[in-house]
Amino acid sequence: MDNPVIIKGNKHGITVFLDPKVDFETLKKYVAEKFRDSSKFLGDAPVVLGFEGRPLLPDHESQLIKVINENCNLKIVMIDDRDTARGERYKKQLEEVLMEIDRAQGSFYKGNLRSGQEVFFENSVVILGDVNPGALVISKGNVIVLGALKGQVAAGAYENENAFVFAIDMSPVQMQIAGVRARSADEPAKDEEKGMKLAFIEDGRICLEPLSKRIWNDIRL
Amino acid sequence: MGEVIVITSGKGGVGKTTTTANVGTGLAKLDKKVVLIDTDIGLRNLDVVMGLENRIVYNLVDVIEGTCRIKQALIKDKRYPNLYLLPSAQTKDKTAVTPEQMKKLSDELRDEFDYILMDCPAGIEQGFQNAIAGADRALVITTPEVSAVRDADRIIGLLEAHEIKNSHLIVNRLRTDMVKRGDMMSSDDVVEILAIDLIGVVPDDENIVISTNQGEPLVGNDTMAGKAYMNICHRLLGEDVPYLDLNLKKGFFSKLFNKN
Repeated sequence: MDNPVIIKGNKHGITVFLDPKVDFETLKKYVAEKFRDSSKFLGDAPVVLGFEGRPLLPDHESQLIKVINENCNLKIVMIDDRDTARGERYKKQLEEVLMEIDRAQGSFYKGNLRSGQEVFFENSVVILGDVNPGALVISKGNVIVLGALKGQVAAGAYENENAFVFAIDMSPVQMQIAGVRARSADEPAKDEEKGMKLAFIEDGRICLEPLSKRIWNDIRL
Repeated sequence: MGEVIVITSGKGGVGKTTTTANVGTGLAKLDKKVVLIDTDIGLRNLDVVMGLENRIVYNLVDVIEGTCRIKQALIKDKRYPNLYLLPSAQTKDKTAVTPEQMKKLSDELRDEFDYILMDCPAGIEQGFQNAIAGADRALVITTPEVSAVRDADRIIGLLEAHEIKNSHLIVNRLRTDMVKRGDMMSSDDVVEILAIDLIGVVPDDENIVISTNQGEPLVGNDTMAGKAYMNICHRLLGEDVPYLDLNLKKGFFSKLFNKN
């Protein structure tokens, strides 16, 4: 038993093979040593972690995770508890978890988006500036424009029906939320129709409403 | 079998897009089936002048690249059911399309439409080459200024080199008062320099600015420019229409207060 603990990595996760013949306390020491030694190599990426080689009690598993966390900088976002865990499944699980995190997170974009500019965001975005006619903002999450929205925006691209769009001056030429499309009226908007509005999907249609407590209550991230 | 007409000028800002919108709408008013194609990829604005910007889903480049079918990209006008617009792409540039592809596209549209109007970008580079590729005839727009006339001359030469022989001239933004004072070339002066047949003279009219901003072409209404554009449409159909008297008719008060 020259190597009771083997770490195998793939693109999205790490599998730790444990020798079934060695007792748990010894194994724990080996795990700590292995991860400490390869800490630099492993880096600080978010990963899915799996154990193989021997069945683990839930308590033993959490002890091992604690040991790994103490000895390296990896961000363990998920534990794979099935013995046959491998690459593809790790990848899918990791993406799902990261997307959940992304959806609630956002980035900032500073500057005016002008005609002909097209920007894409993996998560929600706050735009500190105007979106002019002819510009296009696409986001998988929500779009918040702290300025005038006069161009085109596609939020919740392309199936996140909870996505919303907010703008200080809401007058887009066209808008899409989760693939549902709406266009502006042909008549120029009257002054009382302008202003701060929130756009969201209700009954398969895009609705524009001024902010209110009820609206905020209905928002789900 | 439809006719492909390119509206071009060489110089920018002389009224290609305004003319395309008005002539196209005018022909539709005369019960022709018309499609307007904005070939100014990257700087589209025919959709804005037509008031159809909010209806754009697909564009010219999508059609060329096969992302959608032609029918999906054509926008039906909100006023005339036999008028359509194929908008340009805003986030691409002129090289996204080749003259061969444009020729193929205009040939495909011939069966369906009586007139296919190509709104040409300024310049003589690829955008111009794309716009004229499938054209049977051309409307060359110029204003009565030396620089615009110079560019129009260059354009006419290029059209002839591309075997587009049927070119007609539109003199745009003419100011009769300035012509009378001798401060502006008359349409006759321009025709003499360019030596091609005139098909219309459009006066400088502030109603054009209003109509452009509202996205409502003014062809056929009671303004001087509206009448001039309607006359161009009739002449395109082969009718003989006398030229307008562009002398502004002064109202009672202006006669009273502005004796000279």
